[in-house]
Amino acid sequence: MSDFPLPRIKDFLQSVVPFDAMEESELQRLVGLMDLAYFPRGEVIIQTGAEPSKNLYVIMNGSVRVTLPRQSGEELLIDVRGEGDTFGALSLLQGEQALFTVTAQEDLLAFMLPDEPFRALVRDNQVFKRHFSFSLARNIDAVRRAADRHTTQMTGTGSLGLDAVLTGSRVHELMSKKLLTCLEATPVKAAAILMTQRKVGSIMVCESGGRPLGILTDTDLRVRVLAAGAAPDTPVAEVMSQSVKAISPQAFAFEAMIEMARHGVHHLAVTEGQRLVGVISDHDLTMVTGSSPVGVMKEVAKVSSLEHLAGLPRRMNRVMETLLRLGGSAEYMLDVLSEFNDRLTLRLLRLTQQAMEHEGLGPPPVQFSWLALGSAGRREQALNQGQDYAVVYANVPPDHEEAVHGWFSEFARRVSEGLSSCGFVGDPDAVMSDSRRCCRSESSWEESFMAWISTAEPPVLAQAAKYFDLRAVYAETGFVETLWNKILGAIERDRGFLGRLRRAGSQRRPPVGFLRQFAVEPDGSYLDRLNLKEVALDPVAWAARLMALDQKVRQTNTLERLGAVARLGLLKDRTAEDLYEAYSFITLLRIARRLEENHNGHDSGAYLDPASLNRVQRKMLKESFQVIGQLQEFTAQRYPD
Amino acid sequence: MELWQAKLLNRAARLRLAHRRLPAEARENLMALEGLSSRAPAMAQRYVVVDLETTGLDYNRDRVVSVGAFRVVKGHIRLGEVFNELANPGRGIPVESIKVHGITPDNIRNARPAWEVFRDFLGFLGRDILVAHFARLDTYFLNRVMRVQYGMRLQNLVVDTVLMCRAALIEPDPYGQKKGAKRCSLDALAIRYGLEVPERHTALGDAMATALILQRLLPEMAQAGWSTLGDLVRVAGVQ
Repeated sequence: MSDFPLPRIKDFLQSVVPFDAMEESELQRLVGLMDLAYFPRGEVIIQTGAEPSKNLYVIMNGSVRVTLPRQSGEELLIDVRGEGDTFGALSLLQGEQALFTVTAQEDLLAFMLPDEPFRALVRDNQVFKRHFSFSLARNIDAVRRAADRHTTQMTGTGSLGLDAVLTGSRVHELMSKKLLTCLEATPVKAAAILMTQRKVGSIMVCESGGRPLGILTDTDLRVRVLAAGAAPDTPVAEVMSQSVKAISPQAFAFEAMIEMARHGVHHLAVTEGQRLVGVISDHDLTMVTGSSPVGVMKEVAKVSSLEHLAGLPRRMNRVMETLLRLGGSAEYMLDVLSEFNDRLTLRLLRLTQQAMEHEGLGPPPVQFSWLALGSAGRREQALNQGQDYAVVYANVPPDHEEAVHGWFSEFARRVSEGLSSCGFVGDPDAVMSDSRRCCRSESSWEESFMAWISTAEPPVLAQAAKYFDLRAVYAETGFVETLWNKILGAIERDRGFLGRLRRAGSQRRPPVGFLRQFAVEPDGSYLDRLNLKEVALDPVAWAARLMALDQKVRQTNTLERLGAVARLGLLKDRTAEDLYEAYSFITLLRIARRLEENHNGHDSGAYLDPASLNRVQRKMLKESFQVIGQLQEFTAQRYPD
Repeated sequence: MELWQAKLLNRAARLRLAHRRLPAEARENLMALEGLSSRAPAMAQRYVVVDLETTGLDYNRDRVVSVGAFRVVKGHIRLGEVFNELANPGRGIPVESIKVHGITPDNIRNARPAWEVFRDFLGFLGRDILVAHFARLDTYFLNRVMRVQYGMRLQNLVVDTVLMCRAALIEPDPYGQKKGAKRCSLDALAIRYGLEVPERHTALGDAMATALILQRLLPEMAQAGWSTLGDLVRVAGVQ
């Protein structure tokens, strides 16, 4: 058979992931192997416990419900699938009895691909193998690492597509290939002339074999030649920077950025084996857009006025855009952002303290620490976030308490004002009225924690949970360390706390999937707006906190907590990996959306429109939701009411 | 029409042609009703859904210019079993019909004569039940060639989706007012079922549309109480 005579049928399949990645002729052949089947609404297509599926189904029209019968007789909705989605793959590939029941929710027209050709595809075709592999971690990792037609699917509509996040720019795309090299013995003057002629800022110094030995930069010429008064015929070997770091052309651009920041250099040699193939400079990286994190970070420490400080977060947003474009990982981006926020806060504490002294209010009356709580405490503050902090000061005699408290409340109010002008959402006046709660002495804090652990009921714990993500941004004493030890010790004695804390968290399960422009809730209802923080990130953070407190893990960061409890054996490695990827993916999605909105000047709040997601994003989100749902079930079992 | 009547007619044809020298495809066609049982579920049968494009609607003057067909087995359309051929009508194509199906004299200049195309189609059809929308028209053209070539009409069961539609979807019409007639047109059914019919008004496109409609009408018939092959032939059989 030559061309399939009904092009629109083929066109439809061509729009379906992963068939879209097939060669035209291969797809042609495949269509010839398919059946087109019709199932009236309500018909059961696959029954739980039935023989392994003999076909892969691709929905052309209509939708199906994927459900799991429960002991009680009712059905648990797992997923709803619509046009372009597939079903039947799991039981077919594993050759096991069908796990789920699949029912036509609307009149359904579906392609059926028989098992043999489907198995062959999954075996021989990388894209199919990846698409139908069931580990989320492997899935996302594979997409991240392979630049193929799949990744073009990741591009959102906005200026900051997620494609960059997952594929990332590679070093070889950004490096300068116009290699300028010289030998060790080359006179420094000749090297400088070469650099001037070629209008570059550096020259690589190589062995005659081509192995890079060092680099001579403009800075070296200024510092080690001109300022040091070296002779123009000095061999470059004597004045070059010897610590030339190498990176592979296949490495991600953000890896290059991290590498530069780590070693404090501005250039990296790009080498394949021993051979030099290019040079990448921080300039090449920042050319992509905006500024480098290192630069903004350094600037925070130099700032001497609040006005100046308030301008930095906007620049930080641009840094985040750069990182996103370069394919930074969620972990790294949150790290950078939280480090920036910490430094900003530190600077603000310092400036406020100076101002108060200047006005005659005096220095801090006793030693104190500035604590971050909630998402700040977990080092997961995404952009444009609220203020969550507390002050703890050393215990003082009761008759001094009022004065000391007064000083620190004023201090906290001013810092809060500063944070507001830097774009952190929060009301400084509310801080004043709230100061009894967030500005207290060491013993008072300790009492609160012990009361929460021993007696507080879920409604109280819902508010107090953020305190269990406590971290010191600025510490003059070892109080926070001591407090953590006491907290973990108290929980070990009173395990009922864990059950109460679990119930304090939201019992909301993440959506089960997507259908057309909606997200589908576990009860089958439709959502047209999705709050990713509420439905996905918060549940993971809650579960991670629970398990960490249970296992006496001292970390506050969610990803670190998950890693730690997995090492202690509470989670399977595979589960932890999946959770890690799910959490990272959703975080990235959130950061990308936020930046896009900052960019376009509109703000849809915390909500995401499911219609704006493409198929690959939907698939990944759906799998992420499934992993999170499983985690919730696990914690519900482990920490019963 | 009942299945036993069809079988009786078939037996008569076999007797009449018993001593005639017939090409293999005609011999095979005489066996078309073998093994069919009126109690078998209609859904489980093998069907070939066909559509012909012609030079016009005049039975006497007009000729076939293209044949398109899909096989439907157990309710599934086999996308790999497609019959799609142009036929040379041996006469000009009127402009009116060119406007409908878009087949121009240039397209069919190198096409084979209709009887050759029909012979191949007979091979594709095998013993399956023939289905067409307004099947009388299609069977008329097919039978004409059959009679000339083999001295017999097509032996397969023929089922009409228009009749299925009238039986399953339209209320009874004892006074012959034919109010439902238009509601069983291919377009009306495509709209009713929300079908996005690809390449409508090509033989193959219309065959696909008819096949998609057959897929839906079979369960509707079963709902209305006609679930066996015997029921189907009684309600919607054409010959």
